[in-house]
This record gives sequence, structure tokens and C-alpha cells, in this order.
Amino acid sequence: MIEVTQQTRSGWCVVEVRGRADAEAADRLEETLRAALEGHPKVAADFSALDYISSAGIRAVLQAARAAEGRGAEFAVCSLSAPVRKVFDTSGLHHVLKIHGELPC
Amino acid sequence: MLTMLEEIVLLAVDEQTGHLRSTRQFGTAYALVGAVFFDLALLRKIDTDTEAIRIIDTSPTGNATLDRILAGMAARPQLTTVREWIEEIFHGRQDLEGEALASLIRHGILRHEKSKLLWIIDVERFPVADSQRQRLVTLRLRDAVLSDGIPDTRDIMLVSLAEPCGLLGYALTEAQIAARRQRIETLSNLETISRKVTAAIAGLDATMRQAMAKIV
Repeated sequence: MIEVTQQTRSGWCVVEVRGRADAEAADRLEETLRAALEGHPKVAADFSALDYISSAGIRAVLQAARAAEGRGAEFAVCSLSAPVRKVFDTSGLHHVLKIHGELPC
Repeated sequence: MLTMLEEIVLLAVDEQTGHLRSTRQFGTAYALVGAVFFDLALLRKIDTDTEAIRIIDTSPTGNATLDRILAGMAARPQLTTVREWIEEIFHGRQDLEGEALASLIRHGILRHEKSKLLWIIDVERFPVADSQRQRLVTLRLRDAVLSDGIPDTRDIMLVSLAEPCGLLGYALTEAQIAARRQRIETLSNLETISRKVTAAIAGLDATMRQAMAKIV
């Protein structure tokens, strides 16, 4: 289960995701990020309060990033929580995603 | 839409001869188990994290192979890691390749031919009846490796399964594979299932090397 909030700051649409991004939440996560990308040229996914991400959650983030590429939009994944950072490091996601230590705005 | 298992087996069929080709027999057997897990993950029946595998939904998929594996997993809750399940299905000697071939024949994508070699030995061939399907899988594999963008989920899975099967060489030249080695490794590393398939193959290789050293 995830909770999502969205706000616009300094030209960035910041999507804060809380909770567990697993198979049950993956579709909602991808849809939320894609919807944000449709309305904004710059989207930051704030994962500071994301406690857990599974393979299904990672696929959702990757497909949102793919959608951003297709639109020529900027998509950054920011402020990873410790457990999520561990998963990202294991998967080598820094090779394919823009990962920021802090929010860009 | 074909399953990941069917796509990998289709990729392994030599379009000219109808024979199955693979340069890494055990690698292929492990990768086919990985393909089944990817199919179950795409259908939201299972999910994985860096180690564990979790069953989300045991309702039937309509695919006999996937349903049999899913039911088997539901009946063994004591096995919880991706690695344990890869080994369990691998050592169960399930004929995943044969089931995928049968399905591809039913779909009219392959034909089944039997002949005799030296009038005695049965030889099976699976000539391609619908070459467009195989060409599409090959093209997706090439694009995923040669482009710099983020591939579709299924194409990431395809690369990460084709690599341990030794099937990349049927879609790409040796020079292309060498030039894109980092990209292939990056895509293959993204998914827990393919990381564990690679680890299982490495473990088997090490065991076989130790066994050979004892014999010699």
C-alpha cells in the first residue's frame, strides 16, 4: 500500500511516495508517475518515506522513466530511504535512472 | 501475446534447420525457470525483492505450465527465496522447453517434424511456420541491447534471459555483443530473478569444476 502526495515547487512536480511499493501498489505508482509526467516537464519522485520497494515497484519506476524519455521530460528519483537505496544499489539502477541525493528544488 | 518462456524457446529455434540451438545447456535450463517466474510476475501472481519470492495470487492463469508451477509453489510455503525456487524447479527436471514447444506448435508458430537418422535414431525438428513472430522477438532483443534508452519491462527480461542461455549471439554479432557488454550486464542485473539465475549457473559451474578436478 502506498500513499502519494503531489505538489509543484520551482518548476518541478514533486511526487512524494510513502509506504510499500510492491505488486499490489505497482500499478498505482506507475499511473501516478505517468500522470505527473503528462502534466509537467520536470517530475521528481521523492522516496524519502518509501519503506520498501519490490521488483514490481522497480518495474513501475523504470516504466515511468521510460515514459519520461519518450516525452522528452525530466524525471528524477530523489532522497532514497535506506532500505530502498539498498535495493537500488543491488539492482544497479543508477546506470539507468537519474538518482538525486536530495530533491532538486 | 507469447509468454516469456515461449519467446525464449522460440529464439532458440534455428530458422534454417528447425533444430534447437543453445551454447549453454544448463544455463538454458535455469533461464527457462527464470522465464516462468517472469511470466508469473508479469501476471502479478508472484513478487520478489532482493532475496525473497512472495506469492500474491494463486488463482489460475489459464496457462497449464504456469498454473502447475504456481500451485507447486503455493503447496511449499517453507521455500521462500528466489534461489531456493530456481533450484527446486531446475532439479524437478520439468520439461519447460517441451511444454513451450508444444504451445508454439498449437499457435501455428512452429511445426513438428520427426525423421530417422541412419534409419534408427529419431530426430525431432521444429521448423518455423510463422517467421514474423521470431523476427519480432529478435528485433526487440537487438533494440534493447543496441539502444541507450530504457527498454520495455518484457524486453529487459528478454535480454536478461537470453544472456545466460547464450542466445544473444543469434540476434547480435560478436562485435556488437562485445561493444555493448556493459549495457547487457546493466539490463541483466536489474531483475532479482535474472541475478539469481546467473548465480545458480555460476554455482553449478563451480560444482562441476570441483567434480572434474577430483576425477582428474
